Amino acid sequence: MSDDKYESHIKAVLSECPDADIDEVKASFKKYEEEFYIPPQDALRSIVRRFQGEKQTTSKSNDTNNSPRNTKKVKSLSELSGADRDVEIEVEIISHNVREQMIRGEEKKIAFGLIEDNPWDDGSERIRWEYKDWGPNSNITPGSVVRIEGASVNEYQGKMSLNINQGARIAILREGTRPVNAPGDPIDISSIPKDGYICVVGRVLSSREDQIHRKDGSGSLDVVRGRIADESGTIGFLSWEPFAHEIGSLIKIDGAQVRTFRETPELNFGRTTKIEPFHDANFADTEKLTSQNMKTVSQLTDGSRDVEIIVQITEWEKRSFTKDGVEKHLWSGQIADLTGRCRMSAWEELPIEANKLPLTVKLSGVRVRAWQGIPDITVDTAKQVEFLDTPPWDESINLEDHVVEVELTELTKSSSRVGITTKGTIVSVRDDSGIILRCVECRRVLRDGECASCGSSESQQDVRLRLVIDNGEDTASLLINKAASIKLTGLDEDTMAQKIESEGKMEFVQSLRDMMLGRVVKANGRTIVDEQGAMILADHAELDDDDPGLLATEVRAKWGVN
Amino acid sequence: MQSTGRVKRQSAVHIFASEYGESTLSEKGSGEFDPSFVITKLGSRVNRVIVAGLLERIEGRDVSNGSVIYQGQLRDPSGVNYFSVGDYVSDSVKELTIQLSEKLETGEPILLMMVAKTRLYQTDEGAVYTSLRPEEMCVIDSSRYASWLAKTSDYMMIRMSNYMSSLDFDANIESMSKSEFSEHQQLGLVAARNHYGELDLEHYRLNVMQALDIAEGKLESASKPAPQRIEPTIDEDNSADEKESDDIETAITDIINTLDQGDGVDFETIIVNAEARGFQRAITEEKIEEMSDSGIVHEPAFGWFRLV
Repeated sequence: MSDDKYESHIKAVLSECPDADIDEVKASFKKYEEEFYIPPQDALRSIVRRFQGEKQTTSKSNDTNNSPRNTKKVKSLSELSGADRDVEIEVEIISHNVREQMIRGEEKKIAFGLIEDNPWDDGSERIRWEYKDWGPNSNITPGSVVRIEGASVNEYQGKMSLNINQGARIAILREGTRPVNAPGDPIDISSIPKDGYICVVGRVLSSREDQIHRKDGSGSLDVVRGRIADESGTIGFLSWEPFAHEIGSLIKIDGAQVRTFRETPELNFGRTTKIEPFHDANFADTEKLTSQNMKTVSQLTDGSRDVEIIVQITEWEKRSFTKDGVEKHLWSGQIADLTGRCRMSAWEELPIEANKLPLTVKLSGVRVRAWQGIPDITVDTAKQVEFLDTPPWDESINLEDHVVEVELTELTKSSSRVGITTKGTIVSVRDDSGIILRCVECRRVLRDGECASCGSSESQQDVRLRLVIDNGEDTASLLINKAASIKLTGLDEDTMAQKIESEGKMEFVQSLRDMMLGRVVKANGRTIVDEQGAMILADHAELDDDDPGLLATEVRAKWGVN
Repeated sequence: MQSTGRVKRQSAVHIFASEYGESTLSEKGSGEFDPSFVITKLGSRVNRVIVAGLLERIEGRDVSNGSVIYQGQLRDPSGVNYFSVGDYVSDSVKELTIQLSEKLETGEPILLMMVAKTRLYQTDEGAVYTSLRPEEMCVIDSSRYASWLAKTSDYMMIRMSNYMSSLDFDANIESMSKSEFSEHQQLGLVAARNHYGELDLEHYRLNVMQALDIAEGKLESASKPAPQRIEPTIDEDNSADEKESDDIETAITDIINTLDQGDGVDFETIIVNAEARGFQRAITEEKIEEMSDSGIVHEPAFGWFRLV
């Protein structure tokens, strides 16, 4: 490279700072470029600043002149009074309803709803008024931000509202962004929300009469339990009314209430639910729907019933306990399939010999509970278990330490899982990373030297990292255990303690940030997913950045940017 | 269900200063805990970003209640991000800010990475600016910077490609819901297309190419000749006075073209939008008058302009 490649840039610096030393300027450009990857045009301003020293000029052009108009233009609804006639304001439409009204013997459509002022300013106090649109303007939708011109204020019994008269003008500044879901439209079973009233079309996969006993002993209620399915998934139902539709029949259910028991949504049919036969020759048949009812470990959710699944039992043991003076037995152990690991418990003895493990079984009609986020399949009778000769997957895979690679987005959307590994960018290193004190009783982290749950102040030192990882779509908390934290940071417990002692906690955590923020981490462990979001408990974690040069070349190839 | 429970943490978007800084649209949900977003021209709804670059400036300013607000500039190959560090930040961000401003005084180049919350604000004159509030920051070396450049390039290309495929659908939720985009993406794309109108993506592509050159260590091809004149760095809008008179005419024509829904576009809206594109109010006002005189625009109603 020729020595004067910075020439034009150096000239630019010298024209701003005539006193600067040309060699020093050149050396600066070289340093920015070689050490910091900053090309000269981007380094220019920083270098000028440096040679200019503390010279500052302030120039601010301020010329506001409002165009003369008769309109009263306001920012906030609070500036308006009952007498204002020609008003201009920007608002967000909160709700918008159309109704028909007889006005002077003529049937007219008018729209009404709520508006809020300060639509652009986040965090500020917004004032909410009712409005009436006599137009009505067809372009108003909830969620849109509009400028209303020529509206008038209506004051009635001290309550203010805005009248959008026929001559008024509405300019849409931002279109409404809230999708509207019409009632009575069937939705996919897989997209059923956690609560609310919905309409679905599905085939009855199972249906059986059941009784619910009142807790106060005053009797019992006859109910029907079962499952329905469409091609997107299956869901259990509970009917409080007689339910006579046969297994295999296709029905449309309108006004079913979704209730979520533990993590699992269930449909409730009551007096107001409308169920009728539905006709669709193309709807998937019972056989196809039953086969897709088969679950994998990754799909198990707390509280689900009537589960069909094929798993491998990898560990099995008998446990005994005494209840009401009677000794009872419970069998439990580890199970796995290709999607992950979890636990299983049986209330009846199964023909399992420890030296024959692993064994593949098909489970039918079983239910799922979860302990600390880990699903536990409950087998109530031995009839629910069918032993298979071979697993339906490659027999040579050892499921006991099988780790499944799962995208972060999938993890945050699925239920809690065991034996997974995932990747994400570290976007936060929490201040309580490093050395913590745990309560000796319940393992909780002490706050201000005291355990929040049992009040004990007896503690034990532990090491952990608390991070947040992110893939640009979803985020998860990542808690890394002691051994993995020590390995990841390259600092053992004593060194960490010393550093915290000498630098202070804040500087120590900042040093972890300096090391990790913005980098990609790959973590192995298990997840707990609940309404607070996803949490990964990792027993192994490593920084996993690609070489930037290679990554850049990949990006070029992927997008054809050359 | 929606009102209870904690609001889900918003993802951080890898984004270049050009895409973020050109945004003039924001969105705030109606609920108390709804997150707010800045919506970029490419239709990303951005609540949180992960940005990096050369720390160009960081200065404390005393404010009336006795505290100090730091304002800074972070330059990446595509432009500058403005950030401010106020009283509300964590102790570690505040401490690091003070350390950085001292270090910058010595003339030492600093590469900084930050995870920050986005914010759009409007001046009294109506101009819209973007700014960032850092949540966590750290000093990085050139290799991590290169990594960020490559990743951000990829994400920007994904957004450009999504934007292009969104053009197969009309700019409303009903049409867009037939696409493969997630709900979050649909909302952003619809809002962006309605607000910004037609886009020319060429300069984003150039940003990506330059960033990739740097990430590959090809600084030579990433270098451009020095600008003829250096704009003062204190100027919030770094390109304002560079524009030729022709540019502003194009900009005004463009603004009226996109925003006219049949009745013309009002004076104030033209000014605000031109300001967001880097033209000062006085210049725009003068130009509109000139264009009106020379018959390029007409004024069907007082204060409302249409193209002839």
